[in-house]
Amino acid sequence: MGVLSSNLKPSFLGLLKFLNNMNWFIVFFSLINISVCIYEDQIGKFDWRQTYVGRIKFAQFDTVSTAKKIIVATEENVLAALNLKTGQVVWRHVFETASTGNIQLLHVGEKVTTVTGSNPYLVRGWDSNTGVLIWEWSLTVQNDLTEYSQWWVQNNMLVHVLPVFGSHIEVTMYNLLTGSNRGASSMLPAIWTNERCILTAPHYTCISGPLESQLLLSIDVTSNAVKIISKPLTDYVDIQQTVSVNLRPLGGNSIIPGFVLGNDKIVFIRDNNFEKSKVQLGDKSASATVVDGANGHILVQTWMDDVTGFTLTADSVSTGKEVTDIYCSDKTLNIPKPELLAVMCTRTSREQNACRLLINAADDAVHLMQQGGRALWAREEALSRARAVEFVELPVSDTDAALESEFDQKEGSVWSAFARRLLTQYQQLQNLIRSLQGESAVQKTPSSLVRDYFNLHRIIVIVTDAGKIFGIDNLSGEILWRRYEAGLSAQSASVFTRRSARTPPHHAHLSVVATQRDTGNGFILSLNPITGELIDEGKLILNVRLLQCMMLHVPDSEKLHALVLLDEKENVLVLPSSAAPLVEDVYMYVAEKDTAKVQGYSLRFDGKGVRAQRTWAARLGGAGAARVAATATRSRLEHVRAPGRALADRSVLYKYSNPNLVLFVVERLDPLYKEEVVAVALDVVSGALAGAAAHRRARALPLAAHADNCFVYLYRSEKHRRLELATMELYEGKERWLEPGVPFSSLESNQVPIVEHQAFILPATPTAAAFTITERSLTDRHVLLGLSSGAVVELPWAYLEARRDESLPVAAPELPLPADATLNYNRTLQRVSALHAAPAGLESTSLVLVTGLDLFYTRVAPSKTFDLLKDDFDYYLITIVLSALIVATYSTKYFASRKMLKQAWK
Amino acid sequence: MSQVKSNKKFKWALDYNQKNKTQAAELPSPPGYSQSANASYTESSKETDSNLLLIKKLWDVALGPLKQVPMNLFIMYMAGNSISIFPIMMVGMLIVRPIKALFSTQSTFKMVEGTQAAGQKFVYIIGNIVNIFLALYKCQSMGLLPTHSSDWLAFEEPITRVEYVGGGLSML
Repeated sequence: MGVLSSNLKPSFLGLLKFLNNMNWFIVFFSLINISVCIYEDQIGKFDWRQTYVGRIKFAQFDTVSTAKKIIVATEENVLAALNLKTGQVVWRHVFETASTGNIQLLHVGEKVTTVTGSNPYLVRGWDSNTGVLIWEWSLTVQNDLTEYSQWWVQNNMLVHVLPVFGSHIEVTMYNLLTGSNRGASSMLPAIWTNERCILTAPHYTCISGPLESQLLLSIDVTSNAVKIISKPLTDYVDIQQTVSVNLRPLGGNSIIPGFVLGNDKIVFIRDNNFEKSKVQLGDKSASATVVDGANGHILVQTWMDDVTGFTLTADSVSTGKEVTDIYCSDKTLNIPKPELLAVMCTRTSREQNACRLLINAADDAVHLMQQGGRALWAREEALSRARAVEFVELPVSDTDAALESEFDQKEGSVWSAFARRLLTQYQQLQNLIRSLQGESAVQKTPSSLVRDYFNLHRIIVIVTDAGKIFGIDNLSGEILWRRYEAGLSAQSASVFTRRSARTPPHHAHLSVVATQRDTGNGFILSLNPITGELIDEGKLILNVRLLQCMMLHVPDSEKLHALVLLDEKENVLVLPSSAAPLVEDVYMYVAEKDTAKVQGYSLRFDGKGVRAQRTWAARLGGAGAARVAATATRSRLEHVRAPGRALADRSVLYKYSNPNLVLFVVERLDPLYKEEVVAVALDVVSGALAGAAAHRRARALPLAAHADNCFVYLYRSEKHRRLELATMELYEGKERWLEPGVPFSSLESNQVPIVEHQAFILPATPTAAAFTITERSLTDRHVLLGLSSGAVVELPWAYLEARRDESLPVAAPELPLPADATLNYNRTLQRVSALHAAPAGLESTSLVLVTGLDLFYTRVAPSKTFDLLKDDFDYYLITIVLSALIVATYSTKYFASRKMLKQAWK
Repeated sequence: MSQVKSNKKFKWALDYNQKNKTQAAELPSPPGYSQSANASYTESSKETDSNLLLIKKLWDVALGPLKQVPMNLFIMYMAGNSISIFPIMMVGMLIVRPIKALFSTQSTFKMVEGTQAAGQKFVYIIGNIVNIFLALYKCQSMGLLPTHSSDWLAFEEPITRVEYVGGGLSML
């Protein structure tokens, strides 16, 4: 016996060791279990991506290569090639956001050349077919005042013009491919230069001189001999106008150097002389350029005004006659402030012009047109700068609405109810017949914009920086409506769904609260999010600037939630004003970003109007200078169902689920520890502190998220030189503070919650963070992180929980970012700026929109789709099996009874 | 046919089946057999013996559930506390069997009438109840009974609020 046990012992210990090793495997496999990934055949099934490039700055047609393209450089520092036929992005390079990525020059010849950055500059050559980098050299200019430098390419030489105002112009030429300098840079004496000078390559043109005798001066900077053209300005412009004459170059890569003088004069530079154009500018805001047409040079102009709408004209430069086949005037086209980016005209066999015009608009949309104003395609580049996003529910279908109204009506006789029933059933029959006829066209009409069973179909309303508002179908990504408001500045815009489409007699109502671009006054836009039409107040511009706004929690008699606006004089405006008596138990807070001061207000209706009263104030950064890096509030869409969480020992830990908490991540300078990040969870009703954490020698990232009792924020630790993700959780303890059913009040609670902290190392650089939101918050919660690498990853909250116990996975200091936790698989998203989550009708599912340079929509199921059949569920198989079983049952029953009968006769 | 054959008398045939009327008289008792004495003896022993046997048998039935207890304990120990199909089935059996037995007590003890019937029934019921308690203990140790506060968490009221708040960074 003793021999046996001594033989067994080592192997038993070995087994234990093996099991211990297995532990890691268990952790590993549990990871795979938690993360959600999709199968290859599900690509694009629940998600879509739209790639954008940003507002286009320079564009040129690539006529050299076989596949026709437009090469564009944008204000978002993107170099891209667009397919000429479809407008799709063929290839794209995204440069740095900082000034180092700023594109100064785009030149398309045999190869695409760009100059990026600002001292040092990078000159790069790209293959226009593939977008592959071919050459690169850098260039540092010794002069400090490089702000006004100008670049262009001439005869395979890169020309750099650096004006020193009031003194001279420095001109340097480099070999485009190698960067070798032709010699020392030449200094052209030009004491007449000033800030208003323009480059009309190869000429540098200015208006200079004393006010009464202003001169129009121009110099060819590339010629060896210094030749200055100098003419009195009065030769070209009336004396009355000379006070502030506008000077701007012709746009769209004009093939003749020229400029627009004043409101309507076009002047070309030819043979070292100014030459007045025979054609005048059609409108003072018109954009003009000269291109090579069928019969010599033609001057193409475009503008938009209220009378004629969008106008496109073309005139021969030499004769001044109008080229009629290009002309277009269309009132239906809405292209605000059109600007010619690039124009290309070719001659057809019938001596006609076949033109392609790339037109940029003030709403950041870019249109490709052909002669006669026919639009070939348009790209909505405004979507590359989304500011505010709202998911809007769709209305129920007409039949469902009728059905609901049937149950709604409590009064009325039996007969009317009976008639209503007959009517609805007739409608249902009609719908049935229509669906049987298989009218696929029905799908396309707006009438198909009805709520689906799981409420997964929504309209995403996006407010963009350009002031353009879009309504996008979340299933297809199709733009359903768009609306451009030139005066709207979306910098601090917020969107409120004031009435959902659930109340059939009333239409849905959505309000955008923003600021007016010029004055900074309040700008409120009310529209129907389903159609995009203005409703009720429509466009409302206040004559006062707004501090903050909120939506009232109770709807009025028309089921409309009122807007409560706090203006800079701390007066309160309620829209509609009839809802003012409903303002009760309403509080507001306003935080100043640069000083980290927070002010709390109590809003009360005093019989006549609503007054705001200051209740508390806090300086979050203490005495020193501080700024708010990020704030996080609970989403309006979040409803928390569970008051506590079950622990491993099956007791309940009650959450401190205060709905009035706001997380402020404040960056302050500490005299001892240099930078410091302070995260403060404030109850903004009472001003009470619920939890706080400080991280020394750290810089905050503008990312924070809050849901229920969980907080997440990020900072860069200067001490360890790494990114850290900190989490904070608040708990009441094992006993519930309030009796069940007693509503929570911030002003009456005087207990302090238990605060749990934890920080993790994050091996990536996030640019956006959000929580998933589900209908009742019963599903697991995941943190979504948009990374600078172009991935959007899902991190289960179980890994981040500040409160550790044995039921959770082992706390690792470094967070795992497995590849299969990436939501967007191999669809890289450039410059992710924000993540927006909304609950679907299914508890398991959360809808997610990623904004940034690209738009990406998908849906996530943090606890897997427990309330939905698997996507690959075989309906046919189960139908066949069931029917076969039924047939088998009945046939065996029959056969069995026959056999019994036969046996009985024996 | 055979009837006809048998009726036809052959000359030299012997008929063995012929009924002997004289043998119809009863056989005499074997020597030493007293009919009266025997009858009285069986009468008395049958009465006491079968009764005792029945009581014994019924006590066996009544004590059956209690005798199962050690076996059930062993099964419970072997089944373990993990929640999977076999332990669940075993626990189900452990719980369902005594309950069924309790309901069928009346039919089990149908033919019993006697002095010890009440006691037997009582012991039988106690045995089954002990078994049920064992099964419940098993459920408890497997965590199948809603005895903890977390089991009732889903029925707790969600948090409602008094104050409503809005705001954010200054729009200026």
